[in-house]
Amino acid sequence: MEKQVAIVGYAQTGYESDVDASREILVLEAAVGALRSAGISREVIDTVVTANNDYMDGRTISNMRLVEPSGAWLKDESKVEMDGAYAVLYAMMRILSGDHDVAMVIGVSQASVFPTYVPGVMTLDPTFDRERGLLNEVSAAALQARAYMDACGVTEEQIAGISVKNLRNAALNPLALRRMPVLTVDDVMSSRMLYSPIRELNAFPPSDGACSVILASSKKAAEITDCPVWIRGVGFSHDSYLTERPLDKLGSLKQAAERAYAAAGISDAKDKIDVAEVHENFAHEELMAYEALGFCGEGKGSALLESGATKINGELPVNPSGGALAANVACAAGLARIAEAALQVRGEAGSHQVKGVKTALAHGQTGLCAQENIVFILGGE
Amino acid sequence: MESDGLQNVDMVRIPAVPVFNWSVGNFMERFFDGLKGGKFMGVKCPDCGRVYLPPRMICERCFAKNDEWVELPPEGTVESFTLAQVKVGEDGELADLEAPVLIGMVKHEGADTCLVARIEGPDPEEASVGMRVTAVLDKSAESILDILSHYVPR
Repeated sequence: MEKQVAIVGYAQTGYESDVDASREILVLEAAVGALRSAGISREVIDTVVTANNDYMDGRTISNMRLVEPSGAWLKDESKVEMDGAYAVLYAMMRILSGDHDVAMVIGVSQASVFPTYVPGVMTLDPTFDRERGLLNEVSAAALQARAYMDACGVTEEQIAGISVKNLRNAALNPLALRRMPVLTVDDVMSSRMLYSPIRELNAFPPSDGACSVILASSKKAAEITDCPVWIRGVGFSHDSYLTERPLDKLGSLKQAAERAYAAAGISDAKDKIDVAEVHENFAHEELMAYEALGFCGEGKGSALLESGATKINGELPVNPSGGALAANVACAAGLARIAEAALQVRGEAGSHQVKGVKTALAHGQTGLCAQENIVFILGGE
Repeated sequence: MESDGLQNVDMVRIPAVPVFNWSVGNFMERFFDGLKGGKFMGVKCPDCGRVYLPPRMICERCFAKNDEWVELPPEGTVESFTLAQVKVGEDGELADLEAPVLIGMVKHEGADTCLVARIEGPDPEEASVGMRVTAVLDKSAESILDILSHYVPR
């Protein structure tokens, strides 16, 4: 993609397990922070897209009360009931339509106020799976992990290596929820077993928080900032229900990545991508993502991890922020990957900054066992 | 954000418990009728021949309406499994189980999609991907959803 739409501002709240604030205040904090980051006022925003979920918010058309804290009063406002990463695609299209120049995207939820694992259960086939009480997002991910381990000869210890890498990285990220600077594989392997092989520290921590990203057309981006982060490519793919597709690989992520790379003119991802922020709800999904994103060959995810390449000081750092294992706000976790990738391109990531980032990849997912995947390629001037 | 905690309203509980009544539809109706008679009824895509069990009305790959019914054997293969130490409790959080439960994703012979059910019998340490299993039906089950009781190794 030519320089058509840029990220010009972003903000995340600190992530907590039970924040002492309403979701409206979280949204206000993210919105005001993103405007401050862009150096613009509310008046400059043409359209606001929120990513939130009626079920999780306990309110029908839950975006209607986000008009006030998002600054959307009397503006064009709409909602994406998926992760905010998809809302970025939607906002980008609204800008490309020519009708809007500046869009604010905000993702929010509070796991502390909804029954954490019920929304996942509600996505199951209602005529059979949902009623039988066996499947939920964790047990489904366990089936995915086992299928992947069996197909690729991966061990639980290797999967634990992802948790160790990411949660140690998270110690460098002041916003992260799980900050564990001295975590070891043994610690992960002795954490509470949920559904084998998934233990507590291989699984996302239910989190409260919000994230906001501001997008602008090329003309407006030039007025707003000297360092726009351009959306160079995006790819999106939606696979089958979990019992109707192979679980040992992330087929739709591979397809989404190929589409994003084609748009960005990238033929060798491992060489061209300087940092990746991957939406790994479970540790094994990051290994699977390495393969789907073309960072290594099929079945070579654990070898790539063990080579050290994806460490924060490696040749292709993945999740320097700590990723979704460090904080996972439903509807904002993929969006946070985009904000973190933009932060890296701008060189504003502080203690978890990767050196010399020109091109960054951000990934978001929705659905059981990463049913839908979206990939963004971001780059500076 | 510091506060002393809310003194008057700690947490508003939403009074309505949503209950959804899903029609199982003609296809699942026939699937359950089959189970009552001890049969596994799947459907085949007229275009690609993919066999769906449980039956699905549409083959998303071919954008076609599935219309050919096929009876499948009770035997299948474990495509993946997990030993559950927890379940989603009444409060929507993960609650410890009294005893672990082995859950399998099983592809019946001749099917291209999977059913998820308990596996009984094997030592969980011996469970494996590729393990061959047979369905055990409980025709006296209180709920029609529980007629497919579990799988056992064969």
